[in-house]
Amino acid sequence: MRRHALAACLAALGLLTACTAEEDGISGLSTPGVPGPAEPGTLRVLASSELSDMAPVLARVEKDTGIKVRPTYIGTLDAVDMLAKGTTDGKYDALWLSSNDYLRLRPEAAAKVVSETPVMSSGVAIGVKQATAKALGWKPDDVTWSQVEQAVQDGKLTYGMTDPARSNSGFSTLVSVASALSGAQSALTDADVGKATPRLKEFFKGQKLTSGSSGWLAAAYDRRGDVDALLNYESVLKGIPGLTVIRPRDGVITADYPLTTLKSTSTRTREDVRRLTEDLRTEKIQREITARTHRRPVVASVPPGSGLDTTRRRELPFPGTRSVADGLLDSYENELRRPSRTVYVLDTSGSMEGDRLDRLKTALTDLTGDFREREEVTLMPFGSQVKSVRTHVVEPADPQTGLDAIREDTSALSADGDTAIYTSLEKAYDHLGADRDTFTSIVLMTDGENTAGVDAGDFDDFYRDGLTPAGRRIPVFPILFGDSDRSELAHIADLTGGRLFDARQGSLDGAFEEIRGYQ
Amino acid sequence: MRRIAGIVLAVLLIGGVVAAVVAGREADDKGTATKTVQGVIGSEKAEFFADPDVVKALAAKGYTVKAETSGSWAMEGLDLDGYDFAFPSSQAPATELAAKHKVRGTLPRPFYSPLVVVAHKSATEVLAGNGLATLDAEHRGTLKMAAYLDAARKDRTWQQLKGADKYGELTGTLYLSSTDPETSNSGALYLAAASCVANGGKVVASDAEVKRTTPLLHKLVSVQGAQQSSTDAAFRDFVSGAGNPLVLVYESQVASLLADGQHPDDLVVLYPDTTVNSDHTVVPLTENGQALAGLLSTDRRLRELEVRHGFRPQGEATEFAAAATYLKQELTGVRQAPVPTSAVLHELARRARG
Repeated sequence: MRRHALAACLAALGLLTACTAEEDGISGLSTPGVPGPAEPGTLRVLASSELSDMAPVLARVEKDTGIKVRPTYIGTLDAVDMLAKGTTDGKYDALWLSSNDYLRLRPEAAAKVVSETPVMSSGVAIGVKQATAKALGWKPDDVTWSQVEQAVQDGKLTYGMTDPARSNSGFSTLVSVASALSGAQSALTDADVGKATPRLKEFFKGQKLTSGSSGWLAAAYDRRGDVDALLNYESVLKGIPGLTVIRPRDGVITADYPLTTLKSTSTRTREDVRRLTEDLRTEKIQREITARTHRRPVVASVPPGSGLDTTRRRELPFPGTRSVADGLLDSYENELRRPSRTVYVLDTSGSMEGDRLDRLKTALTDLTGDFREREEVTLMPFGSQVKSVRTHVVEPADPQTGLDAIREDTSALSADGDTAIYTSLEKAYDHLGADRDTFTSIVLMTDGENTAGVDAGDFDDFYRDGLTPAGRRIPVFPILFGDSDRSELAHIADLTGGRLFDARQGSLDGAFEEIRGYQ
Repeated sequence: MRRIAGIVLAVLLIGGVVAAVVAGREADDKGTATKTVQGVIGSEKAEFFADPDVVKALAAKGYTVKAETSGSWAMEGLDLDGYDFAFPSSQAPATELAAKHKVRGTLPRPFYSPLVVVAHKSATEVLAGNGLATLDAEHRGTLKMAAYLDAARKDRTWQQLKGADKYGELTGTLYLSSTDPETSNSGALYLAAASCVANGGKVVASDAEVKRTTPLLHKLVSVQGAQQSSTDAAFRDFVSGAGNPLVLVYESQVASLLADGQHPDDLVVLYPDTTVNSDHTVVPLTENGQALAGLLSTDRRLRELEVRHGFRPQGEATEFAAAATYLKQELTGVRQAPVPTSAVLHELARRARG
């Protein structure tokens, strides 16, 4: 339920995320931004982040049709929520999610759709390191979800996956795993989910990496080196070198990427979307799609790209009701997944006085609606040095107390002093200490350059020599804000395996919300 | 000599340019004389209207058709202001649209197409081995609806069928995938056919009959989980190798694929022994819409193209050349289930989904 509060506030503010690939952290800078004004010949498309690999194909389609696609990447749940509330009206010309299965469970959202046309397909799969697959004695054609579960239980397999609340790949993976492990013969019911919970809990103990996007997941997997596998769409996994891609024998859920036209748009816009769709389904473009993105074509005359196994898999039915889908997500967030521990290192130096501090307080207060049960949140405001360290846990028995305490501490923040970025970061690492069984990370929000305490060189030494291997696995997610120094923060993201978020054009709320997918 | 040749060449060149300009102007003139007709159509007709030959045939008669797709039952919810026609996939939604938009007179039904099941060979083999289907050609057979509905009633899984263990993908409950019956025509027609069989071969009409058939229909739909909202999407998934091994589509979709020169080896067309035809019905909203409907029904070239796209034009035996091992040329042995009234069909769909 907590998730919906987030979606509501995201929708209300019209905050969205757009990613550009630059060297900021291990997978680029992310700017939560606004969709931009309508322009003739340009389609503003609300899209799943998995579609970022379509850029070269879309460039070619633009040459054919003169239609430019300007994507704004978003998680399925947030997209569906925006659609249902009408906040996409007039801001977006089309919708392009990995799948509309969830959309159909929300009648208010489905009522906004005129047509949907599948463009390509890819099913959920497991990408395992070759050595691990060999050690487990797995034959790629013959692995079931139960075997994956067994390997996790035996301590022989760890994996990463994207956050089901932020990324369609994570959502499809969650439903695939739940369908398979519940033993359901047809579409999942509430009873199936309840029955499968103990097994799912075991299964998700193996998850060592979480991510808001498939791109960062792949980069983090590569950097960490100690994670054995990734769960994602076959198309994503095929693009990562060194993975044996397994399509579980007992079934998968397949995304079919429907380009979707919206009632709120003009006939002319929908005609442009139709032309775009038509071009995407030509043989030429279908060939290019399957060759470049490892997705499967939807026209019979184009064979799947090389390396795509053509044996069949059972299609696991997607839940037919919202209560089942939402119930599954809720239990994933609050019960099944490992909890997260996060330190928020917050610049409250003198320059934050006034509007900036107000915006920080609002953003943090809004964020409390999104914290999960069992989550540990530490607020570490700093100026010339760390001002206080306050840790709160959202206890399942009484979540409100922890959340109230976070809000209280937030409202007490005040601005003064210089900016000791690195000294404060070191303190955050000390606080987190040895890795427990959690997703551990640091969020750094600053509006200026480092002016006090140790310098960047000292921090580099601290990170490289002063931390245990477990400590070095804790990423810092810096947020660009106010007058902060982009290269300084990019370096921190890069060094620690984090990712840079930009709140200069968009908003602080948007950045905080987007980082949730990585916590 | 050389100079003369030069002059001749120049004259020829100028002539060429003039001819080109004239030809260009002619084409332009034709362009401006064309009437643009705006419509909303069921997704399964999108390829027909996008076919360059269809575009050409329509242009020859002075029309340019701009069509966007929608679920047939979802057309009711669209603002059709400025549209010339709506073209749902069957009579029931067309009749409702006509009533809503105060269109009088008989609605033209240029062509039709029966509902069929596309299946993979493995699934067909298992169905045939268990008395649920018969095969009469390599890629063509009949689905025994009564036997299938009986299996559905008993929650039969593939694992319980003889011979299914050979195929890893054949596990879980045996069911036909259909589209959402509340928004899409083919899903609704599936319920029409199934309810007729479940009602002893009679069309469902009374409240008691609705009530009696509801549990089975609910089962047929709920096992599927989330359903596609368009028949095109369901067929695309099948073509791309994803999805359930048994999918309800229109015969026209298969015929169109075959006419394209595709002969997928792993495709079998099963005609349910009781099925429903989708009578593609035009709701003309303007004079231009009416004229278009007339052309689709009577123009020789357009009727040829309709066949190429797998539709069966009314009042004419259809020859699906080159598709004989997949399609029935005549629909003998296929019983046409009568379709319940719109109100009853809506109620059946609502209860099946609920």
